[in-house]
Amino acid sequence: MDIFEAHQKLKAKEISPSELTRQCLDKALKSKNNSFISIVEDFAHQCALESEKRIQKNGPQTYLDGIPFSLKDLFITKGIRTTAGSMILANYIPPYDGYVSEKLKKAGGTLIGKTNCDEFGMGSTNENSYFGPVSNPLNRKFVPGGSSGGSAVSVLEGSSFYSMGTDTGGSIRLPANFCGLISLRPSYGRISRYGQIAHSSSLDQCAPLGKSVTDMACLLEALTEYDVRDATNVPLGTMSIAQDVHQTPPEHLKGKKIGVYAPFIDACKPLVKSSLEKALKHCEEAGAKIVTIDLRHLKYAISTYYIISTSEASSNLARFDGIHYGLRESDGQGLEQTYQKSRSRGFGNEVKRRILLGTYSLSAGYYDAYYKKACQMRRLIFDDFQSAFKSCDVIFSPVCASTAFPVDMSQKSPTEMYINDFYTVPIALAGLPGLALPYGKGENDLPTGFQLIGKPFGEKELLKIGRALELTY
Amino acid sequence: MESRYNTIIGLEVHAQLATKTKTWCRCQVVSHAIENTKVCEICSGHPGTLPSMNQKVRDFAILLGLATQCRINLLSFFDRKNYFYPDLPKGYQITQYDVPICQDGHIEITSDNGEIKKIGIERIQIEEDTGKSIHNKKSTLIDLNRAGTPLLEIVGKPDIVNSKEAVSYLKKLHALLTYLGISSGNMQEGNMRCDVNISLSPKRSQKRGTRTETKNLNSFRSVEHLIELEVQRQGQILDEGKKVIQQTLSFDVNSSTIKILRTKSDANDYRYFPEPDLSPLAFEQSLVDKLAAQLPELPDAKKSRFQGQYKLSSYDADFLTSSKFLADYFEKAVKFFRGKDAKKISNWIMVELFHALNEVALPIEKSPISPADLSELLNMIDSGEISGKMAKEIFQKMFDEHKKARTVIEELDLRQINSDDKIEELIDTVLEQNLNEVTRYENGEKRLFGFFVGQVMKLSKGQANPAKVNKLLHKKLD
Repeated sequence: MDIFEAHQKLKAKEISPSELTRQCLDKALKSKNNSFISIVEDFAHQCALESEKRIQKNGPQTYLDGIPFSLKDLFITKGIRTTAGSMILANYIPPYDGYVSEKLKKAGGTLIGKTNCDEFGMGSTNENSYFGPVSNPLNRKFVPGGSSGGSAVSVLEGSSFYSMGTDTGGSIRLPANFCGLISLRPSYGRISRYGQIAHSSSLDQCAPLGKSVTDMACLLEALTEYDVRDATNVPLGTMSIAQDVHQTPPEHLKGKKIGVYAPFIDACKPLVKSSLEKALKHCEEAGAKIVTIDLRHLKYAISTYYIISTSEASSNLARFDGIHYGLRESDGQGLEQTYQKSRSRGFGNEVKRRILLGTYSLSAGYYDAYYKKACQMRRLIFDDFQSAFKSCDVIFSPVCASTAFPVDMSQKSPTEMYINDFYTVPIALAGLPGLALPYGKGENDLPTGFQLIGKPFGEKELLKIGRALELTY
Repeated sequence: MESRYNTIIGLEVHAQLATKTKTWCRCQVVSHAIENTKVCEICSGHPGTLPSMNQKVRDFAILLGLATQCRINLLSFFDRKNYFYPDLPKGYQITQYDVPICQDGHIEITSDNGEIKKIGIERIQIEEDTGKSIHNKKSTLIDLNRAGTPLLEIVGKPDIVNSKEAVSYLKKLHALLTYLGISSGNMQEGNMRCDVNISLSPKRSQKRGTRTETKNLNSFRSVEHLIELEVQRQGQILDEGKKVIQQTLSFDVNSSTIKILRTKSDANDYRYFPEPDLSPLAFEQSLVDKLAAQLPELPDAKKSRFQGQYKLSSYDADFLTSSKFLADYFEKAVKFFRGKDAKKISNWIMVELFHALNEVALPIEKSPISPADLSELLNMIDSGEISGKMAKEIFQKMFDEHKKARTVIEELDLRQINSDDKIEELIDTVLEQNLNEVTRYENGEKRLFGFFVGQVMKLSKGQANPAKVNKLLHKKLD
């Protein structure tokens, strides 16, 4: 049951918010997947009761009214512990509400809890959490993907209808891909980042994860009001697209041009590759036209991404210094010691690794060779996409060359893991929207799928194409 | 003794802007508030918070750029300056590094020889202030009320050669800030702080010497004093054939001592990079034009107007236009003055009023005597109602007791005696009491005339009109 169906049932009073909440809480509390860092039982019941009153009186006020959801623990929630998956914030209770929390509350959503994630969103397996790894219920020998792994698993296990995650370099699309779910990375600037704990400011984007393309539209509708508190939020206004997207007929695909860069698909594992080829054939059968595009600069995307994201992270994470909030390790030996001990103890290895990388790239004498070069390359990658869009409406790309990674692989060779972000980071660098859709099975009988990449702020058309495709399955 | 060295001085000034709210959040800017009460999640650097800019800060920066003939960049950028310090809650300061909002301007000062000298301004950049660390014996406390308040950093070119020029430059900059109404310029409260870069090089040498930077001076006097001491110190080092080391210094005004904060080798690497949470600062020329139209009359223009309109000397006009409040005070007083010579008012302000203010260390803004009251007093002198000498006495009482001239005069019965009858009465009494001297005068000792005048004035407690005393005394005696 996706958001839209649940909404219809609530409307018809076939089910009540409290029942939905009880079902989800039950699954969350019994879950063995470690998908949640905090479960907010009392708060959820209270939200559900309020929805119930509203619905009894006037019916659901929004698509989200009365529907249980979860939030990645990078989203600030007033009065509710927000950890970023880190020891340094393990006891941090925010004094304010972030944009996403505020909006979903206002829309009548029922928060079940805060989901597990890689520390500060750094990782692609969800094994870098201070609160332990998240298990993939499809097969426990494999990871659910990260960094929004808890979000994906919470939807998969049925403890929430949808989850809000974040995507810096693929953190929503990869777990969706590994778990057979749907997610959307919106255009950079589409949804306010206010109250989203920063990993890399120029790449971070709040991103919904759910079970249908319509879910994505419902969430964009709830989360696209302009927010003056985020200077990078583009004032395009609320997108009222849920009905339009939901009602898109399969014929919408007719004549649409789908761009493909063949070397991308060839580089995938055999079973993933054959799934992708089937998916493309499927698109053609539905009336779309496949066109060849050139994205040659994307081979530099990984290095570009890891220079920019770690540089920004090294600065964004400076505030966790043991002085103002969060973990403080102090033995009275002075300021330097407090800094060193709090940060050494409070941050995990992957976070430390990235802070060091980023600090190095920004250092005097290295800035021009690394950070500045990376910014120039970022521009070229954007230009590649711009020219590709001259000949197509959307771009078809893998999300990952393989299906879910085996457990522990990331801990054995951490930096080699970075290469797996090959398909997800380019659109983050270019600020483009990407819709990850499941399609078939790949290696180890695990889900695989693809992503459709849209033009800047072209979410509506992207979702309509996605919806039309979904209907032809 | 003629120095063997050329001195090069460059000043960097931090001016706190008088906006109602902070730079990136809507917390109030207040100079006196209980610690940590003007603070929100943004200025205290909580996770997830983002800056959104107060547009007044931009406007104020443009105004100062226009007033200092800078080029206004329609597109400038914010950068992060990364360093750890407890009163810097984000772990970085948002500033402008690569491209600031204003560049390449100048300020005109009058140098020693009376000529106008241009002191270059390299750049004016927007940045945020930090909080304050309050060091106790046992611990350090942090007050974040100041964190995120807007600053302009005005980076001067090294065009200054001595302490006098430095002070003239700072006073002119201070005047501009207050004229524009963009900063309170209250230096005791640190609203204007100055870093001083000094280097000496042997005369005839092409190479510039190694410089030192002294941080955070907050008075004209301390800048003047520091420059004199540091120039002397560097001169001595060079005299001894040693080398000046590139260092950051601090100056203690009370003990007149220079302390070394750090040497260049352990300087911070601030890892500047473009602030990704803010879009570039972009605006249209029309905004600049609009603000240019709002510029008030600035010190230089006002000075030449004062010289022309009120026939003031360059020195007086300079003095009176050194602050907008003072210039306004003068012009208000002129408005109430019935005499023609505005010079009289400038004299009274510059001599009597400033003497009295300095005695009790009050700024002109807090003068107990209003411009109208001062003019009333001067009107009384002009009309002969009181003498200049009496006026000074009345003035002091007005100042000390916050009273109007009329009240003081009535209280002390200080009105000038102008009636011929009354003065003749006084003269008669004096002559009767000094018959001996009258005889001597009549026998040719004419210099005794002054003695009689003095006695009459004494008898009248100084209230008799001296001109009339003279005239009537001549009539009686000659």
